[in-house]
Amino acid sequence: MADSDDAGTSSVSEPLDLVRLSLDEVVFVKLRGDRELKGRLHAYDSHCNLVLGDVEETIYVVEEDENEQETVRTIKKQEEMLFVRGDSVVLISPQA
Amino acid sequence: MSFFGFDTTLPRDRAPQGGQRGIFDTPDPFAEVIRSKAEAHHDDDDVLDFEDTYDGLGNQLTDEQDAFNDDTFGDVETAPVGKDFDFFGKTAQVSEVIGEEQVRYNLNNPQAPVAPVTETETTTVASNTVLQQPRRTGYEKYHDPGYIPDLQAKSSVWNMSSKVDPAFQAMSQARKMMSLEEVEAQLRGQGIAPMPSGPQMLLAQQAPEPPHPFQRPQQLHTLPDGFGQLPPEYLQAQFARGVPPHLLHPQTMAPEPFLPPAHTPSIPLHLLQNPNGPPPPPPPHMGPPQHQAVPPRGQHQQQQHPQQPPQQHNRGSSAQLPLITNPQQLMNLTEEQRVVYLMEDAKRAKRNHKIFLLSRGNGLMTPQDKNFITRIQLQQLVAAAGNVADNDSETVLAEDFYYQVYSQIRGAPRQHPHQPLGHFAQTYLLQTGNRVGGHGSRKNAQSGDNHMQRMQQQVQRAVEAAKAKPKNKQLIIEGSLGKISFGNAKAPKPSLNIKRPESSEGGKATKKPQTDLSLSDRKSILTNIEGVYNTLMELEDMERTMPPPPDENDPEAIQNHMEWRQNVRSLNQKLWLALKVMEPIVPNSNTPHPFIAFLSYPKGKKAIPRIFRHIDQEQRVTILTMIVVHLDTLDVVRRAHSVPGETQPSLAVREAIDLFSQAVLPSLLGYVSEAPFNIIIGLLGLVIAQTHVPFVAKTRIGLGILTMLLSRAEIVKEAGQASERDWQQWVEKFNVLFDTLEPTFGDIFPNSINTGDDMYVWQFLAATGIGASPEQQQRLVIAVKDRVMETVSHSKTLPADMASQRLGNVNLFMRAIGLDVELLG
Repeated sequence: MADSDDAGTSSVSEPLDLVRLSLDEVVFVKLRGDRELKGRLHAYDSHCNLVLGDVEETIYVVEEDENEQETVRTIKKQEEMLFVRGDSVVLISPQA
Repeated sequence: MSFFGFDTTLPRDRAPQGGQRGIFDTPDPFAEVIRSKAEAHHDDDDVLDFEDTYDGLGNQLTDEQDAFNDDTFGDVETAPVGKDFDFFGKTAQVSEVIGEEQVRYNLNNPQAPVAPVTETETTTVASNTVLQQPRRTGYEKYHDPGYIPDLQAKSSVWNMSSKVDPAFQAMSQARKMMSLEEVEAQLRGQGIAPMPSGPQMLLAQQAPEPPHPFQRPQQLHTLPDGFGQLPPEYLQAQFARGVPPHLLHPQTMAPEPFLPPAHTPSIPLHLLQNPNGPPPPPPPHMGPPQHQAVPPRGQHQQQQHPQQPPQQHNRGSSAQLPLITNPQQLMNLTEEQRVVYLMEDAKRAKRNHKIFLLSRGNGLMTPQDKNFITRIQLQQLVAAAGNVADNDSETVLAEDFYYQVYSQIRGAPRQHPHQPLGHFAQTYLLQTGNRVGGHGSRKNAQSGDNHMQRMQQQVQRAVEAAKAKPKNKQLIIEGSLGKISFGNAKAPKPSLNIKRPESSEGGKATKKPQTDLSLSDRKSILTNIEGVYNTLMELEDMERTMPPPPDENDPEAIQNHMEWRQNVRSLNQKLWLALKVMEPIVPNSNTPHPFIAFLSYPKGKKAIPRIFRHIDQEQRVTILTMIVVHLDTLDVVRRAHSVPGETQPSLAVREAIDLFSQAVLPSLLGYVSEAPFNIIIGLLGLVIAQTHVPFVAKTRIGLGILTMLLSRAEIVKEAGQASERDWQQWVEKFNVLFDTLEPTFGDIFPNSINTGDDMYVWQFLAATGIGASPEQQQRLVIAVKDRVMETVSHSKTLPADMASQRLGNVNLFMRAIGLDVELLG
C-alpha cells in the first residue's frame, strides 16, 4: 500500500511484487533460528523487513532428554504487532 | 652604456661608477658569493679573466661559410627586425600600471612582512643629519614599533629609473662624481626650504667627501628588493642623540607617496638622460613612498663606513651590497665574514624574490570582491547540485507519505504541509537577499557581516543540495571497461537487468488471455486489487496536485486545469477497468465475478470508500447494481450462514461482515440516499429476480441492503417525490418481496436470542413495516410476535442499560407499525 512508484498497475516485475499481493493478507513467514510467524502482512520493504499484525510466533526448540533422544518442543507466542528485520527472513508464503 | 642599458663592466670595474646605470643593475648576490668563494682560493681579486675562461671557439669560425647566413637567419639588411622580442618596450607600456599596483599594494598592505633587522646600530652619525632632517622623510612608519617595512615589488626590472630624482640626476650629470651626502643634502634642501639646489650650494654646506663608491641612486630609488627603507637602527641612533620624535617625524605617517613638487618639473630632463627608452614616468603620486627615505640611508651608510668594522654589513639591506663590490671594502672584511655576508645576502635576495612572486596579485581584489566571486561559485554549485527545491514536494511525499497525509488531516504543524523545508530555507535566503539589497545606506556598514551570513547560508545550501542530490548510480572509471554501480536503501543495486515484459508486444499478447482465463485466481484477484490501489493512489496524488481554480483571464492556468482534468479522466478510466466491474456476468458459473471476488478480500472492501470518491454517479450505480445482483454470492452473505451446531459464523467471517458494513455499506448508502426512485425500484427488482431472497435475508449484509432500499423508498414517498406510476411499480415489487420473505421472517434473526446484535433485523422489520400495508403489517406482527415476546422477557434478565437497548431495538419495529413495547407490558 505504501508503494506508489510502480507505474505498471498489475504487472509483476520483481519477486517482491508477489509479496505485495499478500499485503493485508495473512502470510506465513519462516525465520532463521527455527522460528515461524503467521500473521497479517501490513508492510514490507526491499530488505524484507516486515510489519505483521496479529502474529502467532512458533519457536522450535530441540531438547535432549536423558536417553539422548532429541525431541522438538514448540513455543508459541502471540503478538499484536511485530516488526521483523529482513535479514532473518527465510521465506514468505501467502496463507490461503 | 650598452644596449638595453646593461652594465657591461665587470664587477671589479664597477665600483668607482657614479649614478649612471642601466636598468638591470641589481647586484647579483650569487655572483658575489661565487666571487667571494673564489677569492678564498686566490689572493688577488682578479678572479675571472676573459682569457682564462674563453675557450677560443670563436676563432674556429670560418668566414667563407657566411655566404648563406642570410638564408638561414633571414636578410637582416632588408627586413626589419620586428617587435617580437621587444620585451622591454612591452613592459614599458605597462609600467604605469605596475606603478599603480605598487602603490595600491602599499596602501593595502602597510605591514607586509620583510626581513627582520637584527643588529643594533652604533652611534656614529654625523650631526648634520639631524639638522637637515627632511620635512617628510619616509621614515615615519618606523615610529610605529610594530612596523614592518613595506614590501616592494621588484620594480627595478622595469627600469623605474624614471623615479630617480631628476634634480639629483641633473646634478650628477653636471658633476661626474658626487657623494651621496651631497645628494642627500640637496634633497633636504628641497624638503626644508626652497633653496637653490645647485651643487655649489651643497658643497658649501657640507664638507666634500671623496666620491663614494656605493652611490647607486637608481637602485636606491627603485628599491628592487623591498629594502628601500631605512633600517630602524638609524632611528635608534637618532633617538639616542636626543632628537625629539616630532623632528624626526614631523608628519604622522602618511601613505601618500607624493614627491615634493620640486622634483616633478625636471622629468623631461630625466627623459633626455635616458635615451634607451625608459618607461614614461608614472604620475607623481604613483611614486613609491620610499623616495625620500633613500638619501638619509645613503648618508648613514656613508658615514658609518670609515669607522665601522665590516660586520655591520651583516644587517639585511641589499642596498649595502655595493659595499662589497668595492675591493678596498672587501679587503677590510675577513674571509669568513665576507662569505657569511654574501651567503646571507643571496638568501635574502632569493626570499624577496619569492615574496614578490607571491604578492604580485595582492590587493587586486577587495574582500567584497572575493566574497562576491565566492558567492557566484557557490550559487553555481547549488544550481549544479540539482533543482532540489523543485521536486522536493514529490520526494517528501514519497519519503514520508504517511506523515504528510497525517499532518494534512490533523492540521499541519507547518503552515503549508506541501511546502518542504528546502523551499522554506530558500525563501529565507531570498528574504535575506532582499533585506540586504534594500538597506541602501546601511549597506556598506553591514556588508561585511552580510557577506559572511550569505556565505554561510550558501554553504549550507550547497551541503543540503549535495545531500539531497541522488548520487550517481554508476561510476565509470576512465579507461576502465566496466562500471561500478552503487546501491542504497531506497534504490538497491540492481543485480539483474531484466527488461520488463510489458515493453515487448509478445509479453502483452500472452498476458491478456491469461488475465481473462484466470480472473478468479487468488493471485490474479490480488493483482487486480493492487492495480486498483495503484490507480487509486495516482488519483489521490492528482487530487493533491490539483491546480487552483482557473482564473478566466489566465490562459495558462486554464490550460493547466484542462490537462489536469484530462489526466484525472484517464486515471478514472484506468481505475474502472482495474475494478473489472464491467466484466461480463457469466450465469451459473463456479467462479465468482471478478468484482465480487475483489470484494471478498478485506483490502478490496477497504478500497470501496476510496473508490467512491473518485467515480461518478453512473459508475456508483453500476457498482451498487453489481453488488445487488451478486448479493447471494458475496462472501459476506455466502459465508455468513452459520454452520449447524455453531451459534455464529467464524471469527474471520464476522470480521469480514463488520468490515463490509463499515466500509462498503456507508458508501452504498451514500449513493442510495440520493438515488432516484426508479433506480431503487430497479434494484429491488434485481434482488427479487436475481438472488435467492430468503437466503440473502438471513444475513446481516443482505438485510442491510434491503433495509437501505426500503427506507429510501419510504423517504421518497414521504417527501412526495414519487410519481404515481413509480409508486405502483414499487408496491408491486414490495409485495413480491414481502410474500417471499413472509415464511422466513422468524428465521432472519440470529440463531440465539443471547447474541444481542439483532438490531439490524429490527431495523429491517421496521423498514418493512413502514412501507407495508395494514394487512401486511398484521401478517408481519404475527410472524415476529414470538421473537418480540422472547426479547422482552429476555431483557428483564439483563442489566438495565442492556435491557433498554434491546427493548429499544424492538421498539424500532413496534413504532414503525404503530405499536410500542410498553403496550406489551
